Amino acid sequence: MTIQAKNSAREHDNELLVAVAAGNRRALEELYLGYHRRLARFLSRFTARYENVEEIINDTFMVVWQSAKDFRGASQVSTWIIGIAYRTALKSLRRQKNHNNALSLDESPQQTTDPTFDAETQDWLRQGLSRLPIEQRLTLELAYHLGHSLEEIAAITDCPVGTVKARMFHAREKLRQYLPSLGGGRGDAPASSP
Amino acid sequence: MSEQRGRLGCGQPGISALIPWYVNGSIDESERRRIDLHLSECALCRDDLEQERRVYQGMTAETNIAYMPAASLKRLQARIDGAGGADTQASTPAAKRSARRMPWQAVMAASIAVIAVALSLLAADRWMQVRARAAAGSYYTVTTPAPRASGEVIRAVFAPAITLVDLQAILDEAQLRIVAGPSEAGVYSLASNSQRPVASALALLRAHDQVRFAERTPFSVGPGDTP
Repeated sequence: MTIQAKNSAREHDNELLVAVAAGNRRALEELYLGYHRRLARFLSRFTARYENVEEIINDTFMVVWQSAKDFRGASQVSTWIIGIAYRTALKSLRRQKNHNNALSLDESPQQTTDPTFDAETQDWLRQGLSRLPIEQRLTLELAYHLGHSLEEIAAITDCPVGTVKARMFHAREKLRQYLPSLGGGRGDAPASSP
Repeated sequence: MSEQRGRLGCGQPGISALIPWYVNGSIDESERRRIDLHLSECALCRDDLEQERRVYQGMTAETNIAYMPAASLKRLQARIDGAGGADTQASTPAAKRSARRMPWQAVMAASIAVIAVALSLLAADRWMQVRARAAAGSYYTVTTPAPRASGEVIRAVFAPAITLVDLQAILDEAQLRIVAGPSEAGVYSLASNSQRPVASALALLRAHDQVRFAERTPFSVGPGDTP
């Protein structure tokens, strides 16, 4: 996407959110359909059940509907919406974990096999990601799956930039230990770190 | 920290911590130039970058899953409609005050009103029953002729807890795709992806324990049918 197209998309999101704040249901519908695919693909990396994905997306847009009038433009609309989704997902995933219903390896969504990326490494990666603490994994996914910048992730997660860097560093380091073909290690589970 | 250095580049501050954003392309130009310069001199960080690119590549692989936002949106809208009434009643200060300070006369009046409404509803219900007996039955089933989605040949209902992966696997096997749904009743409209006869796809769906219901759409013409 060119810079011009990005700016135009941002302006359109802003207009939609202003309309949502005024109670315009059509604007909410457009915003919902515009973000649904991105959020669904992102969330389906954490839970295989569509009803969970849908619940998180709808909870997110319920907050958007109720809080649009409070949006002051301190960040982009997309960052604000993804931030709400992040907090909703974090709450939901923690609840699932507490109920011993967190994403199991057997349940995790299968990715299309990339011919240049062998199946064994793909499997190691899937297992490694599922073992990361949820905040570290979300940080990694926000950067790699959604393509967010360091500053955007700090805004989305409502954390200082330093915390985001630290989470990312620990996530990468643990992943290398889990992935022998990538990190040269034995693939043993590393000791837990903050 | 020495172990970390061994694993993630040379550990130079401001370089290895930014590698993920260098990889995803969101880093600003001046930082990119600084990292480029460092990479030209540091084999450890070049190796780190190469490994990180493999992780990135693995994490950005596309899923085969298709999402259907229309039904989810419908549920959100119903939820907003439901919440709207409750919010209006509970959130205004006047409503909160009156709820706290309702005198006994008001309670009595409210009770009488409730009884009056209940009696009218009972009377209306009796009248409706009499009317219903006189009229022909009117109900809707999943096979009732209704506006059909383009290409629809089968309507199906899947187990409520079916995962997207399982759903996609069943559809792939039967060579079908979703063209509409799920409806309020959880009904999906399916179209054929191939020349496989509809009867064969239908038999496959029915044999699957995650499929609760599968029926050919009335008056549909699909592959394998003689015109």
